[in-house]
Amino acid sequence: MIAAIIVPIVAVVVIIIIILIAGVSIYNGIVTLRNRIDNAWSQIDVQLRKRYDLIPNLVETVKGYAAHERETLEKVIQARTMGMDAKTVGDQSRAENMITSTLKSLFAVAEQYPNLKADQHFMKLMEELNGIESNIAYARQFYNDSVLQYNTRIQTFPGNIFAGWYKFTTREYFEIAEPEARGPVKVQF
Amino acid sequence: MYNRIASNRRRTVFIIFLFIVFIAALGFAVGYFIDYRYGINSGYSILLMVFALLIAVIMSFSSYYWSDKLVLSLTGAVPMTREENPREYYMVEGLSIAAGLPMPKIYILEEQGMNAFATGRNPQNSVIALTRGIMHNLDDDELKGVIAHELSHIKNHDILLQTIIVVLVGMVTIISNIFLRSMFFSGGRRSSRRESGSGGLISIVFLAIGLVLILLSPLIALLIRFAVSRQREYLADANGALITRYPAGLANALRKMSAFSEVRAANNATEHIFIVSPFGKNSKVAFSGLFNSHPPIRERIRRLEEMSLGIGLKSESVINEEIKDGV
Repeated sequence: MIAAIIVPIVAVVVIIIIILIAGVSIYNGIVTLRNRIDNAWSQIDVQLRKRYDLIPNLVETVKGYAAHERETLEKVIQARTMGMDAKTVGDQSRAENMITSTLKSLFAVAEQYPNLKADQHFMKLMEELNGIESNIAYARQFYNDSVLQYNTRIQTFPGNIFAGWYKFTTREYFEIAEPEARGPVKVQF
Repeated sequence: MYNRIASNRRRTVFIIFLFIVFIAALGFAVGYFIDYRYGINSGYSILLMVFALLIAVIMSFSSYYWSDKLVLSLTGAVPMTREENPREYYMVEGLSIAAGLPMPKIYILEEQGMNAFATGRNPQNSVIALTRGIMHNLDDDELKGVIAHELSHIKNHDILLQTIIVVLVGMVTIISNIFLRSMFFSGGRRSSRRESGSGGLISIVFLAIGLVLILLSPLIALLIRFAVSRQREYLADANGALITRYPAGLANALRKMSAFSEVRAANNATEHIFIVSPFGKNSKVAFSGLFNSHPPIRERIRRLEEMSLGIGLKSESVINEEIKDGV
């Protein structure tokens, strides 16, 4: 008689406990992934800041040899300011892609000045910038992997239910947006 | 990933537990025989067991904290700086960013053979060691593949288990040597003083224990194989390829390494931490096929080549050429 009441109650309690434990672990899993994105972002940030610190130095060095390449130099400075002011991931990635491309044209300009190219200080800056550039690429890879995992988790079952309850929103990728790499290849004859 | 880490933690605890039980049992056995010989209820068995237990616990704790340093000094690895080797330094820095790990310390082994290993107790306290030969003979993509392989061992927390096993296996080997040698020494003395019966019996007991330990060593080798299963080498290869996004790099690297991977400073206790067997083709270990800690390198290369879809694989002649000349 008593067993007939107790058994279903125990069964219900056990099921509730299992659901609670599953819920907690799903929730914690999502938060862990979200924190990993923040950590990945800070890794990118460290590398970007290193690059911001180098740029004024680089511009000064180039000025010493090629002062009249004002336009190119100003573009680099402009892109740097844009990067430092960026608020969202999208703005940041656009600004960083601009810095990369302006630096490229700066190096192309430097090609025309043999004295500059031979400058020890300039060579060292180039080397450091190349190292930072590849670190940015690696950091971006880790960041985008983390975003992919997190976005997939909160868009698929059962994560999507929790995303609705606790307002988990999808995060933005840090994109490589070099226009020439993106668009269809134009062929001119 | 999380399951790998949890399983490694379980295995580490299990191995340490086994080690402590083993040493304590040894202490008890020695004490028991001494008790038996003198026939008095002197309690040597309990005393020696407690003593051995204490030593085993202290050893286990210290191997948790210091085994990585022991491994580094066993293999003769020395720290490497950014100024001396910028190429390797920036590679490790970049790849650890890509793997989402703190940057490990980098050590160098002055060996001509191409090999590498990782050690440490967690990602915050980890080390990657490269031989001079591997730095000299591998191009950038190949070396990145090797470093990424080691980084995924660090990420999966394989390193603690592998490193602790070095110490514990080494310890068992040393103990079995002590028992065997003590038998030889006391055996020599016995022949001069034939009448001293007690010394004779003890040396026989020690010989017996030594022999049992020797007989146990295949079992210990089996234990190593269980703990550092071949599966985790395949897994580290795959995860490494995921970090570099270039499986052909590691595939080409393994092909080069299979030509010459000998590390003179390696021994039975440290063999399993290396990326490829440090004994090369002429293995020193008996039953090497049975107790190999590494999966066959051909199979690892085949799996990576499959992953690469044929992109970036080097031809046999290019590989041979580059080993001869260096990169």
